[in-house]
Amino acid sequence: MLKGIFASMLFFIVTHSDAQLGVMKMVGKNTSNYSFGIGAYVKGIFSVSQSSDVTVELGANIFFLNDGGSGDGTVIIPLKAGYRYSLNGTGLGFYVEPQIGYNIYGVTSTYVDGNTENLKFHGLVFAANTGYLFLIGNTPLDLNLRYETVVDHGGSDNYVSLGLSFYLHFGKRDNE
Amino acid sequence: MIRQLFIFFLMVIFLSSCLKQSIADAMIADQDPGAKGVATLTYQINGNTVTTTVNGPDDQTSTDYQLICSKEPYLSTNFFLYGLDCLSTTGELTFTFGTALTVGHYSYLGSYGDMFILNYNNQAEYAHDPADSISFNITSYSQEHINGNFSGVLTPMIKAGFPNTYGTPGSVLITNGSFKNVPVFSW
Repeated sequence: MLKGIFASMLFFIVTHSDAQLGVMKMVGKNTSNYSFGIGAYVKGIFSVSQSSDVTVELGANIFFLNDGGSGDGTVIIPLKAGYRYSLNGTGLGFYVEPQIGYNIYGVTSTYVDGNTENLKFHGLVFAANTGYLFLIGNTPLDLNLRYETVVDHGGSDNYVSLGLSFYLHFGKRDNE
Repeated sequence: MIRQLFIFFLMVIFLSSCLKQSIADAMIADQDPGAKGVATLTYQINGNTVTTTVNGPDDQTSTDYQLICSKEPYLSTNFFLYGLDCLSTTGELTFTFGTALTVGHYSYLGSYGDMFILNYNNQAEYAHDPADSISFNITSYSQEHINGNFSGVLTPMIKAGFPNTYGTPGSVLITNGSFKNVPVFSW
């Protein structure tokens, strides 16, 4: 019951949503065996003003390990909240969006002393996201570049992503 | 205000990404604390023990290292060449695994052609004689670190020149060789 009320509230509060597909690359020490990864997310956007939005984002990122087949790679599923600020104040153009959140599920499948181990983790997530909001026809698009880090067990997984997102239309503000 | 917040956020991200190991590396190190911070290579050459120990092996660089397995582009191809390199107090030891690095057996025979393997107190030892050989076993390769063992029979090079002058064939015995927690570096 409570879940239903909460979902209904979100439906009326969220002014619109984004969905994205992106290309990602793990960076940092000992990441040379990772090939390009792919990521996707859905993002709820709560408009605060013409230039500012509060965002909530659920993502799924997959990084493939290319070390001769001994391990599969890493999966990270972060849930983040962010503050998106349009630099020219119009809601379009360049923006910055710091995000913070929690990694709901993470696993690295790797080869350890003759066995494939699935190392599961969670951890805090920080992201610095910047991008460009623009229209093609009436379709709003968002081309963005992001640096994200997950911190857990005294280590960190860091990656950059380049993505293009599009709006999911279901809120009133889409028609404004 | 927004700018300060974003700069603060960038600093947090920068600092967190400065952590020296991936989450998986950290978890594996937690499982095996003994392998966390030391790389070693040891062998006996005609009964004399040579040991090299490196604390914080992951902090080595391409210009300042003692014990690494390097991963370098192979000529102008898309392949990489993997090689073990150790700079001990008695001299260098080097061995090229090839264009793939997996758990398994690697060997070089003297019949393939002369190949420098190591220096011991200014004496270069080669795989030279057809009966010479050097064999390496990689027993584990995980999270960009390798463990294994090696042994061999080599020939000393007495004097470099045209042609080189070699000593008694097969007179250098490499025994009880082992290496542990050697980081694999790309450059």
